[in-house]
Amino acid sequence: MAQWKERLRVFLFPPETDRWLGLLRIGLGLQVLFYALSLRADWNYLFAGPGEGLIGRALPEALLSTESPLIPRLGWLVMLTARTGFSEATALSIVWWVLLFAGCCLFIGFFSRASAILAWFVHLCAAESGGFISYGVDNFMTIGLFYLMLSPLPDRYSLDQLWRKLSPKDPQLIGFFRRVLQVHLCLIYFFGGLAKCLGTGWWDGSNLWRALIQPPFNLIAPEILIRLKYLFPLGGIVICLLEISYPIFIWDRRTRGIWLTCICMMHLAIGLTMGMYLFAFIMIVLNIAAFGPGLDFVWRDKLVRAAVS
Amino acid sequence: MLRGARAYLALVVLHFILIITISCRDIVWLVAHKLTILPSPFSAAAEKVEPIAAAALGDKLLPSNPFRRALLTYLHVAGIDRGYGYFAPNFPAGYKLVFELHYPDGRMEYELPGVNSGAAGLRVATLLDEIGRTRYDPLREYIIKTLAASVWREHPGVKTVRAVFGSLNLPSPAEFEHGKRESYDFLCAYDFSRAEEPAKVENP
Repeated sequence: MAQWKERLRVFLFPPETDRWLGLLRIGLGLQVLFYALSLRADWNYLFAGPGEGLIGRALPEALLSTESPLIPRLGWLVMLTARTGFSEATALSIVWWVLLFAGCCLFIGFFSRASAILAWFVHLCAAESGGFISYGVDNFMTIGLFYLMLSPLPDRYSLDQLWRKLSPKDPQLIGFFRRVLQVHLCLIYFFGGLAKCLGTGWWDGSNLWRALIQPPFNLIAPEILIRLKYLFPLGGIVICLLEISYPIFIWDRRTRGIWLTCICMMHLAIGLTMGMYLFAFIMIVLNIAAFGPGLDFVWRDKLVRAAVS
Repeated sequence: MLRGARAYLALVVLHFILIITISCRDIVWLVAHKLTILPSPFSAAAEKVEPIAAAALGDKLLPSNPFRRALLTYLHVAGIDRGYGYFAPNFPAGYKLVFELHYPDGRMEYELPGVNSGAAGLRVATLLDEIGRTRYDPLREYIIKTLAASVWREHPGVKTVRAVFGSLNLPSPAEFEHGKRESYDFLCAYDFSRAEEPAKVENP
């Protein structure tokens, strides 16, 4: 038992540099910026109060209250802003500007920790108040920002570090947070892959076909897609296997590069063919931050050596 | 060794136990509801396991229970309140909501719940999925009524609004080659009038 504990401790606290943290901060900063900008035209319409907007945030917030009154929501921020005399619409606009500002600060690493907390909190409020209009991207943004705000910021690439010349953080603590993100990604892909393997549609390719022709994901005309119909079963199986085997092959130095490239390509393809750009970007950021730094393309080196010899 | 390593260790183990439990609960739910390729004996076993997973996450506790509230708050703030079975086990059916706007002069127009950007359009699709998935009719009616109200604000001259909700039937590649295109199955319709009368519901 003591041996297991020790192994676990060694696994969870490897000494690391903060390169991955810099990548995560910059990536999430960009993600927050893209998220805010992509919703600019609809922000007030999506998150309006009762009797306004598309669906309003009244029902999702009421449902949240039945779960726990402590879960952050936009209603708190609107109420706080309204106390200073602003209208609901102005309050929502201020919240949007705050999110944009937090994204900018995160991107350049200006007051990194405070920016990360602000971005996490404001985005979480929007995601929770959105309720019925929230989807996977909100979940992954919350996960990323949650880990980021707890991680030992600022990193070496941040403006904070250039300015204030802070003492370096404990490498083991930096390594610990990287491990947490890595293990979480392994769980995400394993359970995602397992759930897909349990459906018939991923084995015969019908899910891939449906995903690409169903509105609003139908960016490519079905007349073009039908020419690739023989590739759908293969594509479906590859996605299942890629995801379910992620926790095995991503740890091995020899296969890490291949798996990371394949997973990033898969997300890039999802983004380009289904229009889920934000979802694709957040997944690529999380993957590259977690497994990118220190990556050895052993297979590439071997190929180069073989070619040279 | 890092100071406070034991505390970090304990917290992270707890955090991952929660993630695994939630993910397992979702998988078990799929199996129990016969939505997977697994044969029925697995479904029977999953039905027995389902309450255990739910109990572990405090679902059996009263909504006012402080432990349940604290747990749910943590799951939400950490972004781990749901599993990761996106587009699984099969790609979900799509839905469509169409509003028929009836004017006092007998004119009729069609309108879809619309937004300005593609990013918001994906969120509307999520909302329609939610309407399609819910088994609680009053919730479905409330959401559709709220959406109808948003359309009404854009068209203040409208006398009545009929909201027609349907599911999308997509052709298989073979069917597509034989000329079949997407079609819709009628699921339900609601009639809303200006006065605050309850909606007239029509189900097939």
